[in-house]
Amino acid sequence: MYRQMVRIRSFEDNANQLYLSAKMPGLTHMYSGEEAVAVGICEALRKTDKITSTHRGHGHCVAKGADFKNMFCELLGKEEGYCRGKGGSMHIADQSNGNLGANAIVGGSMGIATGSALRAKLLGSDDVTVCFFGDGATAQGLLYEVMNMAALWKLPIIYACENNGYSEYTKTEEIAAGSITARAEAFGIEAVTVDGQDVLAVNDLTQKLVERCRKGEGPFFVELMTYRYHGHHVGDINREYYRSKDEEKLWKTERDPITRFGDWLTTEGLASAEDLAAMSAEIKADAAAAVEYALAAKYPDISEVDMHVFAA
Amino acid sequence: MPHDIIMPALGMAQDTGVLVRWIKQPGEAVAEGDALFEVETDKATMEVEAQSAGYLTQVTAQAGDNVPVGQVIAQISESASDTAAPTSMQPASASETPPEGHEIIMPALGMAQDTGLLVSWQKAPGDAVAADDVLFEVETDKSTVEVAAGFDGFVAALLAEAGDNVPVGEVVAVISAEKPTAASRSARSKPPSAAKAPAAPAPEPVASKPSPAPAITQKAKPATMSGRILASPKLRRLAAAQGLDLDILRRAGVPEPYHAKDLTQLIQLSSRATTSAATIAAARRITAQVPSEGFSAFAAWAHESAGISDSVALLAGLLAGSLRQDDSDIIVAVENYGATTHYHNPDRPRLGQAKALAADGTPSIILRDMRISHISSVTMGAEEAPVITILPADTGLGLILECSAAQLSASGALDCLQKFAARLAEPLNHIL
Amino acid sequence: MREITLSQAVNEAIAEEMRRDASVFIIGEDVAEAGTPFKVLSGLVEEFGTDRVIDTPIAEPGFMGIAVGAAMTGSRPIVDLMFGDFIFLIMDQLCNQAAKTHYMSGGKLNVPLVLRTNLGATRRSAAQHSQSLHALVAHIPGLKVAMPSSALEAKGLMKTAIRDNNPVVIFEDKLMYQDKAEVPEGEFLIPFGVANVKRQGTDITLIGTSSMVQVCEKAAEILAAEGISAEVIDPRTIVPLDEETLLASARKTSRVIVVDEGHQSYGITGEIASRINEKAFYYLDAPVLRMGAMDVPIPFSPALEDITVPTPETVAANARKLCSGEMIHAA
Repeated sequence: MYRQMVRIRSFEDNANQLYLSAKMPGLTHMYSGEEAVAVGICEALRKTDKITSTHRGHGHCVAKGADFKNMFCELLGKEEGYCRGKGGSMHIADQSNGNLGANAIVGGSMGIATGSALRAKLLGSDDVTVCFFGDGATAQGLLYEVMNMAALWKLPIIYACENNGYSEYTKTEEIAAGSITARAEAFGIEAVTVDGQDVLAVNDLTQKLVERCRKGEGPFFVELMTYRYHGHHVGDINREYYRSKDEEKLWKTERDPITRFGDWLTTEGLASAEDLAAMSAEIKADAAAAVEYALAAKYPDISEVDMHVFAA
Repeated sequence: MPHDIIMPALGMAQDTGVLVRWIKQPGEAVAEGDALFEVETDKATMEVEAQSAGYLTQVTAQAGDNVPVGQVIAQISESASDTAAPTSMQPASASETPPEGHEIIMPALGMAQDTGLLVSWQKAPGDAVAADDVLFEVETDKSTVEVAAGFDGFVAALLAEAGDNVPVGEVVAVISAEKPTAASRSARSKPPSAAKAPAAPAPEPVASKPSPAPAITQKAKPATMSGRILASPKLRRLAAAQGLDLDILRRAGVPEPYHAKDLTQLIQLSSRATTSAATIAAARRITAQVPSEGFSAFAAWAHESAGISDSVALLAGLLAGSLRQDDSDIIVAVENYGATTHYHNPDRPRLGQAKALAADGTPSIILRDMRISHISSVTMGAEEAPVITILPADTGLGLILECSAAQLSASGALDCLQKFAARLAEPLNHIL
Repeated sequence: MREITLSQAVNEAIAEEMRRDASVFIIGEDVAEAGTPFKVLSGLVEEFGTDRVIDTPIAEPGFMGIAVGAAMTGSRPIVDLMFGDFIFLIMDQLCNQAAKTHYMSGGKLNVPLVLRTNLGATRRSAAQHSQSLHALVAHIPGLKVAMPSSALEAKGLMKTAIRDNNPVVIFEDKLMYQDKAEVPEGEFLIPFGVANVKRQGTDITLIGTSSMVQVCEKAAEILAAEGISAEVIDPRTIVPLDEETLLASARKTSRVIVVDEGHQSYGITGEIASRINEKAFYYLDAPVLRMGAMDVPIPFSPALEDITVPTPETVAANARKLCSGEMIHAA
């Protein structure tokens, strides 16, 4: 799990650099700071379990087993990307690992996730679907429509709300009235709040809920309290007007999920500081190599522009 | 001194600023660092400070104006009153109405173009211009086009700058009949409109419609389609395939629009037209005799005394003089030993001076010079223009004029041949 | 050959496909016991059970999104949208998600779903239950659009749609559910992208969609009595569109009217007319005419509603003008 969190952090650092050095087309949204959420949850899932992601989807993608090279290629629009360069950061999908895709529409993938759960039930599969979405997405009507149906039909789905305190540039308390978990409870869905920066707590909780889902006890709702270090998107650099530097500093220094877990590992004697440092260095090198690879990789041939509009 | 005050650059994407209010008034003393005026930007209102001390003068923008970045809107001068007082200026800034005169607009230049890039002004404010003078150059999709002034007069104001992208139809200059006291040039801010009473008294603009697009050296899109024949694509294709002219239907009075079913009629009318054209062809043939030929002596005399060496030009000139009814151009084509040369208005301004040019276009009359030949007579029928063949005769020369009825009337043909014969007989009598 | 109603044809098609492929299921409002308000799906829940004929709350975006997700992960849902007018509610799931998923994933994810809905006015249902909105979805790359014009097409196109691996929107004319037509027994599919020349003619081509095909056929009868020979063509699917058949007819007759129940402006008629203009220009002896529903929200009053849509009389009137060479400035 440590490895996966470091991998996510490393990926995002590189992606950010790609943007800042004007090598990446378009925009992207950084997951740095929220690693424990994606990793804690995905480590409790099988490869055949499904997830749907958000515009802030690199973390979910890596956590569900994606490869650095193919991810960087996708961000740069290269042919070897997971979507042959046609999706980009906001639509990155890794179907072979059960990632049904990031979505540029806020809340756009809630229906898809619920549908995936319905299909599991109809076709007699015991795989579970996790729907990632942010606190901002609780403003979307679709969430309530699908939770209603998920509850009615007892679908094997976990709604995972990554509450990072902000909906784009506005504080959550200004956009979400009442309690977030109460929304799920209104439909009779069991809802839990957990510290999203504690990867062990997240993982432990998820394992239990996944188990119960497979037995037909779903759906469930989890609210994970977390924090994103960067702005809403990579270009959101001057953000003091909505978020103080002090607050950012606090989360980075005192609540960083990677540091926290690293400390726990060393305290429990499960790994030494040197081991962790070596792992980080290895991952950094791996990521750097993947970036170089992707920068040099080729774009899709122009004949692909009108391919895949329709399936055969 | 004086220092220009400009609308400053305010932000990344901003190229105009709204002047919210003046903090100092014209004539007021100003110290360096004093706030002069307020500008509204994308984000907030900001004060612009004076960079030097002096008096605020020459204010040309008013509160509420949207001024392009970089435009001069006032000056800080040494004294409160300055030369070229603003009242007598005809400023063409957005707050005041343009000077009296003909408005010259950015012309329409092409089908899909709705702005033109003003490349350069060829005249300056105050210059005299003639209607045909090039006033400015515009870059279109395809090339650079010269735009003529269109009016005689003086450049009273230039209302756009080189490098501006001006919407078609917008006024870019004003030409006045009288030389203006102080002609101006300014950058475009917004089209001049009499939206508010100007601060300084300025004459009301002439309530005239903008001038029609001045003549430009390249073809603009056609103004109307009234010349077109309305016909379906199918008929056009079928007619073109058979080399038929749709105009025949129009001349026959068949009502438009034409469709495929009109093809049969077109074919019928076309075959009639060719036969009737053929019958009209050899309509007129008139002969004349010039008993004694005075032309050679005349040509020799002209060469000696006036240095005119081209006797053929003289000949062509006599013919042109015989044909001339008015001031329209007369092109005489002289055919000599298979070679054709054209003379344009060889009877003007002076006989014999016209230059021989290569054949170009349809001539008004053809002169076939067969004086040195064994040909005794011709009956050739009408050609593209009336033809006068000069032949050798037993004594003097023979002249044969052939033309179609459409080319010359009966009296016109007779008149022309008689005059030409008379000139050939006694050239001096006719040119003096 | 036996005759069945359009409603029966749809029912048969769906039942056959559900028997053939266990991943096919129906989802929508009142689809189970009620068999939809139009009773088209009656009997299906009895045969296939509530697991495969799923009643939903009144949550169109919700169940459309669910269908997309189910389709992406191995099912083949048929979504029942009670009135075509409600398509506005599901546009994100249909046009942003379903239509684009195959492309955005570089060809890795498929969305094999069918959206079954309706169109058609003159039912006195007023503006929000009478629209024909197929032009909106035809405009979105990634969606296929089928428009059955009779029971025959309803059966054949529905089966093809269910077997297609792409999102397909089928619009049935809600006024035609009880109309009968000859439909063969046994397995019978109509391929997408193949137009049907219903009547041969030489003087003018009438292209009609959905119930407008019948309008064109009646107009052709009227014109025949006056010595004008009209050809009537039913494109059957708008996306993909069988251009070649339409163009060949335009070249033959040199005059075309396109008749559709979408609004006159910015619709299907404009697209088809444009293609004919581009690709058969030099064969045209008259401008290609569009005839759609008037650019007004469909009014409730029968006196007003009935004049907003093309009729055999109005089609014939325009055909006469075109054939006589009269210049028409917009119908």
